[in-house]
Amino acid sequence: MTWNVPFMYETFLNTWKAVPTTLKLTFIPFLISVPFAFLLAMAQIKKVRFWSRFAQGYVSFVRGIPVVVLVLLFYNTLPGQLAAIFKFFGSSFNVYRQVPGITYAYFIFSLTAIAALTEIFRAALSAVDKGQLEAAYAIGLNAPQAYVRIIFPQAIAVAWPNLCNLLIMLVKNTSLAFMMTVKDITQTAKLGAALNYCYAEAYTVILIIYVIICLILEQIFRRTERYLNRHLVK
Amino acid sequence: MSFNGAVFLSNLIEILSCLGTTFLVMVASLFFSLLLATVTVMGNLGKNKIFRSIARGYITLMRCVPPIVLLFVVYYGAPHLVKGAFGVDINQLDAIYFAIFALSLLHGASISELMRGAYESVEKGQREAAVSIGLSSFQAFYRIIFPQALVTALPTLGNTIVGLLKDGALAYSIGVVDITGQASYLISMNLGGYVLETYLALALIYWILSLVVQKSFGFLETRLKKG
Repeated sequence: MTWNVPFMYETFLNTWKAVPTTLKLTFIPFLISVPFAFLLAMAQIKKVRFWSRFAQGYVSFVRGIPVVVLVLLFYNTLPGQLAAIFKFFGSSFNVYRQVPGITYAYFIFSLTAIAALTEIFRAALSAVDKGQLEAAYAIGLNAPQAYVRIIFPQAIAVAWPNLCNLLIMLVKNTSLAFMMTVKDITQTAKLGAALNYCYAEAYTVILIIYVIICLILEQIFRRTERYLNRHLVK
Repeated sequence: MSFNGAVFLSNLIEILSCLGTTFLVMVASLFFSLLLATVTVMGNLGKNKIFRSIARGYITLMRCVPPIVLLFVVYYGAPHLVKGAFGVDINQLDAIYFAIFALSLLHGASISELMRGAYESVEKGQREAAVSIGLSSFQAFYRIIFPQALVTALPTLGNTIVGLLKDGALAYSIGVVDITGQASYLISMNLGGYVLETYLALALIYWILSLVVQKSFGFLETRLKKG
């Protein structure tokens, strides 16, 4: 057994082309989760009947079980359920053939993103002093104006470091997409590995690419954090 | 697809029979990651520049690595490394050792960060006061700083243990028969049947375990804060 360096180099170049897929798997679930998480967080803050309990239970359940179990559960049952529904309505749509694995990946990663983001939004919105909202109303702003102009800018600044952590978590979650036959970096790097039995090298390449993506993300967030906190007195 | 309650219950019990392995992986990884975290936090807060950069590099690296990727790097890479360094073949070693090693490596970094946060949250004056009344440096740490830091660290430690439990589920992918491994085994025994019942039972077990960890840490925190 020797360490196959040329193989690593070649795999790195090939795998790099799959990075857009990984980014899509990160950002699309993130964007999907924003409105849902916002509503769930608001339901908890305003103590809306039923929905605040629902939000609590949902967050607790999704955060309490491993993402891999979510993948196993939904990826193995959802297609069957969907097929049954389409059949019930007499549609000839073939779920197994026409719905690509990446759709399920988006769905499952959105579920985890919603749970984590609800917690972040809730913490950030409660961190903004109540007096801010009252002062905004007092000078005659209506509710949407008060939220958009006064509350959100402050809440986002509070949430920013947590959002960075969330995105890193979502990037890391994408490593499970290969279980849903998505051609992400893990799947691509593994392709050649089986031929040459270079698994250790292939996984090291995957590791390096993930580290690069995360470091870039962290840098972006660190730079923008300063901008968001510019209103604070130093 | 309908839900079969009887299968759900029987599979729940079958899965629970492998709970020991899940606990073993979790407790052993927690133990080793605590050791590793202690060394790391000492390097990180110490005066030696080389140790400090090693500690920081390790923490940054582990923050960026997906657990399953690290697991496979360790599973396939460690035999390479050990053979190169010591000439010993560890390919036949049980997968559980690789899982524990990878999880310890991963969580050693996060625990060291929570230890650092807790240590720094204790006011400097506490240590100065302790030393001024004649305690040695070690006594000051052990009797004054550590108990206060522990209370601050507890909620985060609870989250880390839940994280360990959840990441442990990935060990099934290298062949460890913990509860997740048992669930997928049951499904293959049923030729791919009763997927919903089996994985729902699995999810339920994880949920309850996580809740138990969180609640007991919450309870501990309120008890210790009284002091």
